[in-house]
Amino acid sequence: MTRPPGEIVADGYPRKRPRWIELATSADHKDVGRVMIAAALGFLFIALVELLLMRLQLAIPENTLLTPVAFNRMLSLYGATAIFLFAIPLALGFFYYLVPLQIGARGTALPRLGQLGLWLYLAGATVLYSGFFFTPTEAGVNPLAPLSELAFLSNNGVDAWAAATGLATLGFVLVSIDLVATLRRLRAPGMAWRRLPVFSWAAAICSWLMLAIGPIMLAAITMLLIDRNFDGIFFADGSGGAPLLWEHLSWIFFTGAYMLILITALAAIAEIVPAFSGRPLVGRGTVIGSLAAIAVVGTLAWMQNMLTSPIGIGWMYYAMVMSLALIVPFGLIFFNLISTMVGGSLQLRAPLLFAAGAISMISIGLASEVSHSMVAVAWRLHNTVDATAATHFALVGGSVFGGFAALHYWYPKLTGRTMGETLARISFWTMAIGTLVAFVPLFLAGTDHGQVVDAYKFFSSTEVGTENLIATIGAFVLTIGILLTLANAIVSRSGGAHAGHDQWGGDSLEWFTLSPPEPHNFDVLPDVRSARPMQDIREAIAHSTARAEAAPRETQPVA
Amino acid sequence: MAPHSPGTDQIDTLLWIGFVAATILIVAINAALIFALRRYRSERGSEPQPATSGRHTQFRVGAALTAFAAAILVLGLIYTDKARETPATDGAGLASARSQPLRIEATGQQWLWRYDYPNEAFSYYKLVVPVDTTVELDLVSTDVIHTWDVPTLAGKRDAVPGKVNHVVFRADERGVFDGQSATLSGQAYAAMRTEVEVVSAEEYESFVKRQRSDIQAAQDRVVSLIERGEVP
Repeated sequence: MTRPPGEIVADGYPRKRPRWIELATSADHKDVGRVMIAAALGFLFIALVELLLMRLQLAIPENTLLTPVAFNRMLSLYGATAIFLFAIPLALGFFYYLVPLQIGARGTALPRLGQLGLWLYLAGATVLYSGFFFTPTEAGVNPLAPLSELAFLSNNGVDAWAAATGLATLGFVLVSIDLVATLRRLRAPGMAWRRLPVFSWAAAICSWLMLAIGPIMLAAITMLLIDRNFDGIFFADGSGGAPLLWEHLSWIFFTGAYMLILITALAAIAEIVPAFSGRPLVGRGTVIGSLAAIAVVGTLAWMQNMLTSPIGIGWMYYAMVMSLALIVPFGLIFFNLISTMVGGSLQLRAPLLFAAGAISMISIGLASEVSHSMVAVAWRLHNTVDATAATHFALVGGSVFGGFAALHYWYPKLTGRTMGETLARISFWTMAIGTLVAFVPLFLAGTDHGQVVDAYKFFSSTEVGTENLIATIGAFVLTIGILLTLANAIVSRSGGAHAGHDQWGGDSLEWFTLSPPEPHNFDVLPDVRSARPMQDIREAIAHSTARAEAAPRETQPVA
Repeated sequence: MAPHSPGTDQIDTLLWIGFVAATILIVAINAALIFALRRYRSERGSEPQPATSGRHTQFRVGAALTAFAAAILVLGLIYTDKARETPATDGAGLASARSQPLRIEATGQQWLWRYDYPNEAFSYYKLVVPVDTTVELDLVSTDVIHTWDVPTLAGKRDAVPGKVNHVVFRADERGVFDGQSATLSGQAYAAMRTEVEVVSAEEYESFVKRQRSDIQAAQDRVVSLIERGEVP
């Protein structure tokens, strides 16, 4: 049988599957990254609910809204959710989505590994929250042994925590392996390390950092599970075990993760500030070197969290040297970011607004950490709400303000739409006011009255009632601000203004692809000749356009 | 929170140094940021300048930051070292604690502090110490990690099972000083409080003697009840 000419033969082609099946089964780095970012933002919402429940309990002295056990469960779930299910996966999600685009690759080197990493992370999240079907963990943000041992918490909560964070951490390690391999093997022709965008450099630094700290946490978690389920004695005292071992191993991970979150945020800001200043990043090499120094020196300062433990004074001074040394790389990054703005032509759009907010919040948090770094001050302020406030300024600044800056900046690339600018501004100012009102009072309650962390109630005799009530109000304002941006992200997916492929005039290669990019990313792999490949491409186009216009038309176009 | 022991004086001073250093950093960064954001807006006609910051600028800024960090490090070392000094017992202090500190064992247990005095007397919740006397607490734990924290008298320290940690203080005034545990230790953690009652040397002597004889009397009574068969 002969077909009429021009008919398209469609037999034998698989039918297009629904979008959600595509997303769930895809190993494409863009799909994996998108699911990771969306899941992380979802868990931000859950973490906020838990935070608000705790803040409501602490709104008035000797409150009985939550029982002590319920409070400890909220506290433990909040910590695990905010760190393992929100902050780290948000950072890795952006890396995983953007690195191949920034280095001019058509995908990642080990896509199935990255896909497995995503699903291990989601499996970990499921395990953590399946705890509600039996008993959620109640051992705290960092479940210090021996409290987390079977003898003191004999229900399954800590096991669920250990399995959940173990699965998620394994997922992060796998994603990091894929990122390291991609960055080493799949850079476009001419994309030398010295031309790599700052955000991709941060991806390399953070992946290596995760490869260093992830297995340490996995080892600690495995030991805890052996202790609890197979009569192990790793962290039990009196039989050869050591409770301090858990402190060392877990604090190495948590300190490293803190640095990872800050490095990611600062690197994203280092992409955003030049794009909205109209000039390249000042001190590019210094910024990249400083990010690497933060990863190494910052993680080596883990004993900063153990200054009240029975460790030698020499180790305490070592921790102090390491943490104070961080002033130099962080200071240099802030200097270069602000230097880029000075003498630029600033477009104060939402990404730059959130980036500036992130710089401000991180600076408040880190400057407070400077005083915590001094050993004798830590003897006063360790485990007070002052430390909570400092950590939250740095991490809310990094993960939420920095994360939202990245979200507003790369949203056009992720979805092909732009997020609403007015809503972004309202959200930003609500969040900024909320953060200050929520955490500045805690500085006062911690330094002046020594209010301790993690406690399910405080007594009216300690005179911190006003501070806590204001902090609770601030937490609600902050939450409203965050929800506005989350709503903005959801609504803009279908309602946002259409974005061009080069929405902001960025310098790196992700802006060379379509918005959203095709599955294979690039039709033609660009030839990279500088650290600002998009600038070169724009100049080349302008040049050839000018030449074409200048040249007289010799032939008529074919009709 | 007024300090009532030589060590906490030093901690207070260092806290102020930390506050000043943090304020300098916060004000410098945020003032520069706000200045840049206001002054160099494209609406105000600011044209992008070519990047001029060379290696020299980076080096100079790095050197300035290093000097700042080194200054804080030195101050931190000096005052931490002072805060660690063991003060000597004063004139009004306990005579027997002249040559070496009065050693008291503090045991953290879910959710109470127990204090064992040198003469085998013990007390729960409330620690009684003589004024102007150097006291060294040996912190131990029978279950999970606890943190002993009476901020007016001393820096906080952890009681970790299997380890002994130390707190030294010399209370300069009679009175009652509140404290609490500062590491999550389970359900009743928030209620795990303690207080230190500072009394004169004579009152301390009579307190531990009375406590010792009361405990002995209670034990004798229990033993006699058991011997008479009234308690199984």
